[in-house]
Order: sequence, then C-alpha cells, then structure tokens
Amino acid sequence: MIIPIIGLLLGIVIGILSPITIPIQYSSYMSVAILAALDSVFGGIRSSIEKTFNIEIFMSGFFGNAVLAAILTYIGDQLGVPIYYAAIFAFGVRLFQNFAIIRRYVLMEHKKK
Amino acid sequence: MQKLLKRENPNNMNRKAYIYYLFILATIIGFIVTVQLKSNITYQGIITIPKLLDLQNEISNVEMENKLLKESISEHAMRLVEYKTSVENTGSAFGTMRNELEKARNYADFYAVQGPGIIMTLNDSQQELAEGEDIAWYLVHDIDILEIVNELRVAGAEAISINGERVTATTSIRCGGPTINIDGKRHAAPFIIRAIGDPKALEASALAPDSYIELYMEYTGIQVEIQKVEKLVINGCDNMGKLKYQRKAEGGEA
Repeated sequence: MIIPIIGLLLGIVIGILSPITIPIQYSSYMSVAILAALDSVFGGIRSSIEKTFNIEIFMSGFFGNAVLAAILTYIGDQLGVPIYYAAIFAFGVRLFQNFAIIRRYVLMEHKKK
Repeated sequence: MQKLLKRENPNNMNRKAYIYYLFILATIIGFIVTVQLKSNITYQGIITIPKLLDLQNEISNVEMENKLLKESISEHAMRLVEYKTSVENTGSAFGTMRNELEKARNYADFYAVQGPGIIMTLNDSQQELAEGEDIAWYLVHDIDILEIVNELRVAGAEAISINGERVTATTSIRCGGPTINIDGKRHAAPFIIRAIGDPKALEASALAPDSYIELYMEYTGIQVEIQKVEKLVINGCDNMGKLKYQRKAEGGEA
C-alpha cells in the first residue's frame, strides 16, 4: 500500500514543479479525468479482492474510460450541452458501488477474525 | 488492508504488477489534482441565459471604456508632442503649459475677456400704474434676467456679465426683494448685461418676435436698450477656485 502513496506524492511533486496550468475551458476535461482515474483505482482494488484482477482490463479500462469521457466532453462542448455529466454520473455511481463492495469484503474479513 | 490484499493475492507476480500499475495511476491522479488546484479555477456554476446577457453587457462596457481610454491616450500623446516641440524650440514646456492654463481659465470665466458684443440695459417701467395693477408687473425680476441670459447663450454669447458680475457656470441669480442677488451680491436696476458674441446675432435674438423681451417685457414698458459694440471688455469672475465638493471623476457617469 505504500507504493501507491509514494506514487501519489510523486504525482503531486511533478504537478507542483511542472509549469502546466489548465485553462478554464478545459476544467471539465480535468474533472472527468480525475473521476476516471479514481474509478479505475477503486475498480482495481475491488477486482484484486475478488481475485479477478487483470492488468489488461485495468489499464484499458482506465485509458478507454478517460478517452471516452474526453470525447463526450468534447462533443458536449461543441453542441453547447454538458454531455460530460453522463461520464461524471457513470463514474461516480461506479465509484460508490465499488467502494460499497470493498467495504463489505473488508468488514466480512474483519468479522471472520 | 495490506494484509488483506496479500492474502487475497497469492499470485505474487500478479500482485507486484498490480501495485506498480496502481503506482502509475496514483502518480497520474496526484499530477492531475495538483495541476487542477494550481490552475486556480473558480467554479462558474451553470451559465444561464440571463447570466450570459449580463456578461455580454459587461464586455461591451469594458470595450467602451477601452475605446475611451485609447482616445485619451492619443490625446495625451498629442499634448506630449506639443510639449516636446516647445521644449525643442524654446528650451522649456512652460509657455505651452501656460497657454493651456490660460485657455482653461478663459473657459472657466476666470479672466477678463474682450471682443465684440452687445450691452443691454434693462430698467424698470416708467408707466403709471392703472387701477388694480400690481407694481410687480413693471419691475425687472430675477426670472427676467435668467431668461435673457439663457437667450443670449442660445444666440452664442461666449461671455456674459450683469452689472459687472461675470456669469459663470455656477452663477446664481435670485430675487432679493427690491434687488436681485447675483452670486449673493445685491444689484438694483438698471441692469446692464454685457455679452460677447456676434453682435448682430445677439441683438436679433433679443429683439426677435417670440423672444422673451418681446413676449413678456415690451408691453409692461420695461425699458430695454440694446447697443452693439465693436470692443467690449468683460471682467473675470472674482471667486476663483473655491471647489469644496467636486473632484475629477474617473470613467463615465454613474
């Protein structure tokens, strides 16, 4: 568990040191990207608990979801309709579902002891 | 949690790979979140049509202001060029600045000025009162002076004085019983109004049919005498530069 935390800190450091800032019109892309990454993390934890973890599914899920969400956001920007809400909604629901399942597994483990 | 994961993942290879991919993902999340935080984006909320129109208005206002500021830049640049040429020619910008000040003071009626114009003398009526008539009808009133001053201005008068009292933008003309207070100073008939401008135009406007004098003063016998003058001197205003409240404003009226 320590390695992902190191990764998180590394990402924060890179983010602080890099000169990149996001123009305001791309902030919706960022929110979708953050949600896609979080969704993948929770999905990964859940699948590893269920022993169905698969790297290909994990990584393709992360990048595929991010790309699809970005496309939705782009289309929405062009049409003037916030379609990226769909991505946020889907990711959000899945995130909470995965968290609920993880919680149940963890609590069950705890009770067994 | 770690213990749990270890137990649930007997396959060491898979677990190792999982942790490194998670590492990459965590790095990406950390990066994205920090960049987002660093960009300092305030949440705009949902943009409704009224909000959009408001913003449009604001933009057009700012553009207007920009335009005005640009104009003032070019104006100031022109003045700077003037100063520069005067410095080159005479060694100092003092002359140009003094000319400007004089011009401004002329506009503000501070200085005595001269030019062609008319002298209008108003005196109370000499007619005898008939029965039931009010003596007030036969006197020159503050309102008469005000109307005449206004008419002279319409006819293009550039400087006006009443009994030697310069009429400025802030001059008050008010009834003071048997006298008329001009800027708080009492003046009695006869009232001598001097006006600089085109003498013909000034006289014509004063005597034109439907003019104030024609309509309201002629029939009561108030004595009006108009004299065209080629060279007329009008005093400057005495109380210069006593501005207590007003300051230079920035931007348009608000």
